[in-house]
Formats: sequence, C-alpha cells, structure tokens
Amino acid sequence: MNEDTPPTVERGTGNLPVLASEQRGQVARATGSAFGGKNFLSHYARQFGTFAGLVGLCVVLWILTPHFLTVSNLLNVAQQTAINAIIAVGLTFVIISGGIDLSVGSIVALSGVVLASLLQRGLPYPVAILGGLGVGFGCGLVNGVLITFGRLPPFIATLGLMSVARGGALLYTDGRPISGFGPAFRWLAIGEVVFLPVPVVVMAIVYAIAHVVLRRTPFGRYAYAIGGNEEAALLSGVPVRFHKTMVYAVCGALSALAAVILTARLNSAQPIAGMNYELDAIAATVIGGTSLMGGQGSVIGTLIGALIMGVLRNGLNLVGVSSFTQQLVIGAVIIVAVLMDMAFKQPKR
Amino acid sequence: MKPPQILLLLAALVSLAGCNRSEKSAVPGVAGQPTIALVVKTLNNPFFIEMQKGAEDAAKKLGANLIVQAAEREIDVERQMQIIENLIERKVSALCITPSGSREIVPVIVKANKANIPVLIVDTRADEKALAAAGGKIATFIGSDNYDGGKIAGAFMTEKLGGKGSVIVLEGIPGHETGDARLRGFRETIAKSPNIKIVASQPANWERDQGFNVFQNLLQANPDVNGLFACSDLMALGALEAIAAAGKTGKIVVVGFDAQPEAREAIKQGRMAATVAQFPARMGATAVEYAVRIVRGESVPAFTPVAIELVK
Repeated sequence: MNEDTPPTVERGTGNLPVLASEQRGQVARATGSAFGGKNFLSHYARQFGTFAGLVGLCVVLWILTPHFLTVSNLLNVAQQTAINAIIAVGLTFVIISGGIDLSVGSIVALSGVVLASLLQRGLPYPVAILGGLGVGFGCGLVNGVLITFGRLPPFIATLGLMSVARGGALLYTDGRPISGFGPAFRWLAIGEVVFLPVPVVVMAIVYAIAHVVLRRTPFGRYAYAIGGNEEAALLSGVPVRFHKTMVYAVCGALSALAAVILTARLNSAQPIAGMNYELDAIAATVIGGTSLMGGQGSVIGTLIGALIMGVLRNGLNLVGVSSFTQQLVIGAVIIVAVLMDMAFKQPKR
Repeated sequence: MKPPQILLLLAALVSLAGCNRSEKSAVPGVAGQPTIALVVKTLNNPFFIEMQKGAEDAAKKLGANLIVQAAEREIDVERQMQIIENLIERKVSALCITPSGSREIVPVIVKANKANIPVLIVDTRADEKALAAAGGKIATFIGSDNYDGGKIAGAFMTEKLGGKGSVIVLEGIPGHETGDARLRGFRETIAKSPNIKIVASQPANWERDQGFNVFQNLLQANPDVNGLFACSDLMALGALEAIAAAGKTGKIVVVGFDAQPEAREAIKQGRMAATVAQFPARMGATAVEYAVRIVRGESVPAFTPVAIELVK
C-alpha cells in the first residue's frame, strides 16, 4: 500500500474477523477501488470502456456532420456540460457513499434566487456568491442531518427537501424570475480564461479537486468505505455520521456552484430553474460507472458520463434529429452504457 | 476490455442517427437553399405543433430547408439556450425563436448577433429592456397582441355574466410575458365592472393536469364561482374535468385562450363558453417567409401583428 493510506482504515480493514466473509469482501472492494491493488486495473479498464464510448460517439458525429468537430463547437459542448457535470460530481460523492440526492435541482433554484437577490441588493458579487453557496451548503446539511440523525432513507429525506427548497424558491421570489446583473458577474458565464470559457475552467478545477479528494484524502476513502459497507466502516472507527452529513453538504454546495454559472449564463435566476436536473446528474454518474449500490465509482467516470450526455444532445441538434427522437436516443444510450458497465463488472462476482 | 459492447453502443447510435437521417435527408443540406431553424418552446403542445406545420408548408413552398427543434419541457430555458447555441454552431441561415423565457433568451440572441445570424422572434416577445441593455438585436417580431386577447376575453366574460359575479383565474408560469400580458388585459377589463370580483388567481403553469388540480382546489374554497378565465386552453380543459367532477358542467362560464381543436370541440358541446383564437400556423409560416426574405437581403417590417379573435 502506498504511504498516503490513512492508518485508521488500514487498521479497520484488518480488524474485521467478526464480519461475514461477504461483508469483508465488500469492504475490500470498496477500499480496493480507492487504494489500488487488484481492482485498480479493472477499475481503469472500465473507465476506458466509457471513454471509448465517448470517443466512438464523437467519431459517429464527425462522420454525420461537418459542424461537430470544430474548436468552437467542442468548447460550446464543454460549456453546456459544465452545469450538469458540476452537479453530478457532488452526486457522485453521495452515490459512492451509498445514498442518493434528489434535491439538487431544487437547490439550484433556491441558491440561484438567493444569489440573484443579493446581487440585486448591490452586494459585491463575491459576497453574493458566498451567500448562494451558503444556501446550497445549508440545504445539503439539512439533508445530511435528516439522513444520519433522523435516520430517514436518503430517497425520502431528499425527496422532501426537493419540494421544500422548490417551495422556498417560489415563495422567496413570488414565483418571478430575478434578472439583470452586472458585467463582472456575467463574466462567470461569458468570460474566457486564455481561450477557455469560464464555466469550463470552473468545471476543470472542481473535477481536479474532487478527484484528489476522493482518491487521496480520508474524506474520499470514508465515502467509499461507508458506501461499501456502512456497518463495517462504523466498526472500523470511521465517524460515519459526520462524514455522511458532510457528503450531502458538499453536494448541496456544488449544486449552488452550478446555480452560480446557470444564473450568470441566463442573466436571470428562476425559481423554476433546475427541474429534472437530478435525473441528468444521476444519468451522468451512472453512465460514468458509479454503482447506485454505493462503494464504487469515480469522478473521472462521471465527467465522461456528463460529456457523453452533452455531446449527444449537441450532436443530435447539429444533425437535425427531431426532438422526440432525441429523447429516445438519450434514453437508449443510458441503458446501453449501464449494460456495458454491468458486463464489465460481472466476471468479478 | 470487451469491445463487443462498445460496438453495440456504436451500432445502436449509428443506426438511430442514420435511420433518422435517411428519413429526412431530402430536407437538411440541399445546396444553395437557406437553412432556417425554428426553435419553439416545446413540441408536446398543440399550439406549437400547429406553428411547426405552418412553417413546414411555407418552407416547402419557398424551397428552404427547415429544422424544427424544442426542449422537452416548455419551461426549460437553459435547454432552449443550448439548442440555439448548437444551431449557431451549425451555421443556420436564420433563427426563428419562440422564447421560453422573455429575459432568459437575451444572452443567446446576443450570441446569434455575434455570429451574424438574424433572429426572428415569434409569439412571445423577448424583453425589450433586457435586450437593449445587452446590446442585442432582433430582425422582427411576429405575434399576436396577447394584451388585446386578454381584453377580448374580459369583455366577453363581463357580457356573459351580466356585469356581476365572481371569477377565478388560472395563470400560466409567473413572469412569462405571454401569460402576464393576457392577465393584464383581462384584469383591466374586469376591473371596469365593480360587481365582478376576481376571487382567486393562481398559477397552473400552462399544464392540463395542474389546471385540473388547482381549479378543483379553488372550487372547494369558492363553490359559488360563476366564471373561469384560463390563460391557456390546456389549463381550461383540465379545469373542465374538475367542473364535470363537481357536477357543474355548463354552470360556470369558462373562457380559455389559444383555440385549440379540443377547446373548439368543448365549445360546440357547450362545456366551455369561449376561447381566444391565435393563429400559430400563420405565425410559423410568416416567420419562415420573413427569414427567407432576410437571408436574401430584403427588408421586413419590425413588427407583424397576427390577428386575434374570439371563438364562442
């Protein structure tokens, strides 16, 4: 094992004689995918499969339309993917830890309108952004506390918050969008760093940090351990409640970050924004090979998953496929991608 | 690695994209003809399907390629923005848009301006102040005056109720220019009759099932209501079911908006009193016709009103 493995987990995984061998296997798999070892190769092989899917998709589109493979279109796709990708990274943490978060879309709406109202009150925009992120973090915290201390199933807790946050956003704005912000704030959507659109840069930074956090810090490893086998994680001394709560809080904050970009992009915050975003984010995560059962997954996979969805939508528009066929194709791709993922996993059982 | 699965995915994609292409290959990409894009709010609303038909007929007549696209849901402003961005990348000759959000559409109009693609706005206005603030330009607006439509509906309601009674209003999505204008026109007309009261006014978000639920709830609170004005026929049709469930069919004056075929049918059957007709097919046809003229360098009027009339 490499030196950045925290001693707690080392001791923990070694101290499980009381658990059934099946449970031990789960912990080993969970920690294995985080730390390397035998599963390391197959883990990357699977990601390579998803990546090959993305490349294949690009090739198909390149053949079908001359407008796909241009620098400006690829930047366009990356920029369109940013919002879903940023939400999906938070959701990846949640799903790896064995949970689900259905409230992300509503959190986008609530934090977006709070951010917008702070901007309209003339607050400097970094302060307003912090306010918006705070709302997202707070919503996530509520989810986490309901799940850990309230012992609610994640599905129920976040389903509840989905409605509460949506209602909050509608009440706060009286149902009306808040729009019209200064150029400094709008730079977050239309600005460029060197030649990259700002949302793409933000997405890249978020993914770089998330990747390191998930693979190299106790926070990330505990997420795998909790998702692999919560009881075993608890017995090995992982502060499960605290870490689970924080996973939801981080997911909420990332949804709020997506709201910042969305608000800047549309120059408007709508209380009805973000509807069904949870489904897009779950789709990206699952296409990326994260298991809904918890304990397995990676943020790089999720990025590829989000890009597949973005490229697909963009490509179908470019080719001029009818809107109804588009929905059919997107659904089919999700199913095929997960079938592929399962086929890769099967031999290990 | 298991290449067969990847091949499976690819094969599925190629066949899906391919079959669709062959089916329509006569339309996109004929050299020398302008490619006009029409982006509507959604294609699961009969209003926009009518508009699409009108546009298709005009495109055939004028020999233009037409691409019609829409988000899955009417309110999805971000998805509509993505579709338009993608069509800008496709370098279409002109963009005809019915904005899902009057202000939210402005940033992407600016993008189209930068790419030198003319933008024609259809049915729902883009917010003029926001457009001016962002320095965006549109070539023309083609649509009905919804404010006048609201006034026509209000006048009919006043007449039908004999100047007194209580009325419920079903609103569209709040902050939506189309619905707001209809409401304004209706409310201002009703306000002229002191004995007619609007007892409740609630959004049902343009949706049929919400029209049913919201009206059913409002009926509980206001059992003696005499009239209903719904800002769209879909909401009115939903409410008609709630009225039937309460056994009040024909006892409440229901006025809708859009004159969809189902609403016209309900009027014939006496379940509904009236609806305000717009002519979406004419809007779609005019949009395509003007787009072709703009591409050829001809000028078009900045505003083209499309007639509005009461169907009763």
